[in-house]
Amino acid sequence: MTTSVKSDIPQGTLDLLILRVAALGPIHGYAIAQRLQQVSRDVLQVQQGSLYPALHRLERRGLLVAEWKPSDTGRDAKFYRLTPKGRAQLKTETASWSRLTEAIGLVLLDPSGDAS
Amino acid sequence: MTWRRPFRRRRGRDAELQAELRDHVERLAADYVRDGAAPDEARRRARLMFGGDDVAEACRDERRFQWIDALGRDLRLAVRSLLRAPTFTAIALVVLTLGIGATTTIFSVVDAVVLRALPFPNADRLVAVSEMQGATIGNVAPQNFLDWTAQQRVFESLAAVGYGGIILKGEGTAEPETLVGQTVTANFFETLRTPPLLGRPFTADNERDGHARVAVISYRLWQRRFGGAPDVIGRQLPGQLGAFEIVGVMPPGFGYPVGARDATDVWTPLVIPASDRVRGHSYGYYLQVIGRLRDGVTIDAAQAQMDQLAARLKQDAPSWYRPLRVQSLHTFITGPARTWMLLLLGVVICVLLVACVNLATLMLVRATTRSHELGIRSALGASRWDLGRALLVESLVLSLAGAALGVLAARIGVEILRTTLPADVPRVAAIAINGRVLAMTVAVAIATGLAVGLAPIWHFARRISPSLRNRARGYTTNIEQQRLRSAFVVTEIALAVMLLVGAGLFLASFARVSLIDLGVDTRDVLTVRVRPLVGAWNAEHAQRENGELLLSTLKDVQDIPGVETAAFVADGLPFRGDLRTADFSIPGRTLPERLADIDRNQISPDYFHALRVPLRRGRLFTDADRQGAEPVVILNEEAARIYFPNEDPIGQIVSFQGTRRVVGIVGNIRHDGPETNWRREGFVPIAQSPTIAATLVLRTSRSIADVLPPIKTAIRSRFPDLALPDIEMLGDYVRQLTAQRRVNMLLLGLFGVLALAIAAVGLYGVMAYLVTQRTPEIGIRMALGAQASAILRSVLARALRQLAVGLAIGLAASWLLSTLVKDFLFRIEPHDVRIYAAAAIVLLLAGLSAALVPARRAARVDPLIALRLE
Repeated sequence: MTTSVKSDIPQGTLDLLILRVAALGPIHGYAIAQRLQQVSRDVLQVQQGSLYPALHRLERRGLLVAEWKPSDTGRDAKFYRLTPKGRAQLKTETASWSRLTEAIGLVLLDPSGDAS
Repeated sequence: MTWRRPFRRRRGRDAELQAELRDHVERLAADYVRDGAAPDEARRRARLMFGGDDVAEACRDERRFQWIDALGRDLRLAVRSLLRAPTFTAIALVVLTLGIGATTTIFSVVDAVVLRALPFPNADRLVAVSEMQGATIGNVAPQNFLDWTAQQRVFESLAAVGYGGIILKGEGTAEPETLVGQTVTANFFETLRTPPLLGRPFTADNERDGHARVAVISYRLWQRRFGGAPDVIGRQLPGQLGAFEIVGVMPPGFGYPVGARDATDVWTPLVIPASDRVRGHSYGYYLQVIGRLRDGVTIDAAQAQMDQLAARLKQDAPSWYRPLRVQSLHTFITGPARTWMLLLLGVVICVLLVACVNLATLMLVRATTRSHELGIRSALGASRWDLGRALLVESLVLSLAGAALGVLAARIGVEILRTTLPADVPRVAAIAINGRVLAMTVAVAIATGLAVGLAPIWHFARRISPSLRNRARGYTTNIEQQRLRSAFVVTEIALAVMLLVGAGLFLASFARVSLIDLGVDTRDVLTVRVRPLVGAWNAEHAQRENGELLLSTLKDVQDIPGVETAAFVADGLPFRGDLRTADFSIPGRTLPERLADIDRNQISPDYFHALRVPLRRGRLFTDADRQGAEPVVILNEEAARIYFPNEDPIGQIVSFQGTRRVVGIVGNIRHDGPETNWRREGFVPIAQSPTIAATLVLRTSRSIADVLPPIKTAIRSRFPDLALPDIEMLGDYVRQLTAQRRVNMLLLGLFGVLALAIAAVGLYGVMAYLVTQRTPEIGIRMALGAQASAILRSVLARALRQLAVGLAIGLAASWLLSTLVKDFLFRIEPHDVRIYAAAAIVLLLAGLSAALVPARRAARVDPLIALRLE
């Protein structure tokens, strides 16, 4: 996998990403995977083996609710939607993520720490 | 039905999950098709891409009850934390195992003996009707039973149970054997609402002489003797006094009373002989009467009606009737053991309390030493609930592990108690660890875990952050914390003192019982019951014939190597409950009615030698005292004192089994055991007094295994059909009489030592902790010139203070409570100061030695090292 330009999603951030995607409106699992890939310009690759357990985990924790509805294919699909609790969670986690990345960025970009 | 619902929902959820995943695969395949793949190929790639069942399983995992996860986490944490402190965990487990093991054992006993309901349908409607002998519940005279049956209106049925038993002839390979039996009225089985498994019960027709040769047998006997043969009904039981036709087989486990160690194997019809159908027969109380109340009749109402009935009967024969008592059958069977069982329960609860308090102390000490860890966890965001739960789970894990080990220990304990408890304890054979006992054990364990875990939680709920700040500044330990620990240790000590005092009282009682002079030397005396002999009951010529055979048997037995002295006794073997009284009078004098009878013993000449009973005056019997010679009698000192207070009894003529001359006076024997008084006894030569049953009494110089086979041969050569049911050392009968005292002494002693050890461990733990905490302070003191001995003294003084307070409370509580056990003591006052002093000394010694270890460590503190810790 070292040659691949695609990255696996860092541990623990998948939940945050799913919440973000689901915040846009009811969406089924396959579309979530597609969307993550598209929006990240094919960098983020979601494994189904992580996606569905994560969806079920979020549903169990009450951050998502699911509903079976007719879809574009004509068959019913399971659509996930953010709950108010999920929305709140998304907000706090997004904030803390920004703080974290900002901090990490500051450290990484600190010129005095540059070894070369 | 409710339990099914989550299951069904899960199935529905699973189908939904499958549909969701299938949807994904199909969309993926559709995308591949759009990219130009053939449909089949696309589906194959999509499925490959997707990863199969693992995804579904991972989703299911996410959904599984999360509390199991949380519990698992707590459990892992608890176990890891316990394993990190192996000494603490080991001590706690030992304490718990002993405490819970003891409780489970005793509860199994109490449950089986008094708590459990009787195993008969509608057992709460069953009662026993007894005649009172003063304050004790006695048996019923047959004629009274007949009168009650004819006239009562409150019982559906009234049944009587008497003694019975069949001695079977040897048949083929089967040895002769004695069957434990009861004679019962025909409605006995119906009263207990338990019909035979096979066949039928007998009928009222069988309750007549000549029609009574029918028997209902136990399931056990059916299996043992008949191999469970289905055609057993109609077959014969070959009794030595005639055969009995088997008419029924009872279901397994049936018996009355329930759970006796010698379970009944055969029931035969009760035939009340004409001689007992009179009012005023002096030895006629031999029936137990049980009844089933009519619907709507209370025990009180039954009592009232039976009282009226008795009053009516009394008008005919005023001196004859005793007051009667109606009580529930359960009370009747379990009543005699109830207070004893309550005592044991109380004692074991004390032990459990000591164990719990000890554990709470240890947990508290441990929690204090862990306060830093807890403080850190709290600072890292663990809520109080999280910390509390962790502590609680830890103590629950401990107590449940202790319960598991305790049940294992209890299995051994129950096994021991089932055989060492006296045989007359009701339902002793039914003692077992059953579901109810296990439920109790688990409940006790959980209660223990909660109680023990709450102590540190209560303590830490408010104190987490200060403990983080105060780390290692031990010499100003929190006063409240210290008080709680001290209170715990004091409680343990007090409980241990109570158990020690109890142990002392029971030990002293047992010692006193053991030291009582029984009047005989029971060591090395073997007894063999020989019963019944040939011929029919009451046939005089057969008795005479037996007499000859007995005496010739005796001659053979005396020649067996290892037999020092051999003798026969009929009716009067001490300590076995054998007793027969006979009319006694002195010609020409009038004796008060209460002196109109004495015990009758029929003996062969060497009887007193065999038992080493001293001759006080006159002579013993010789072989010359036989049929045809002058009839003679020997009295014991008690009889001589009462009947001939101011004259020489030797040579007096008395009327006792005919007219006899008194030829000797022998020492008194405590016939009914160490705790009873002398009886008035008369002895007549067995050769002058025909008998149909006797007991061989042998003083041996070799082991039973050596002498028994030739003895059996000697007996069998004359009485070929004889069963030899009771072969026992005379001392064993005495031991049975003192079994309750022995059990009390052993249990109390064991529990007392246990409590003492636990309390000592508790004291040690607290003192050791204290010394660790005070190490810097001690270092400073020593640096400032304090002597090691002064440090030692100060630590010991602190331990002594706790010991003294615990001792005072324990002694005071014992003083108050010991009157409750008064009835269980023998020749010792519940307030005997010596016992209290002994308990106090034992406790002080144990306590001080427990405190000495940490005290010496304190005295050896190196000031430099101690100060460096700062």
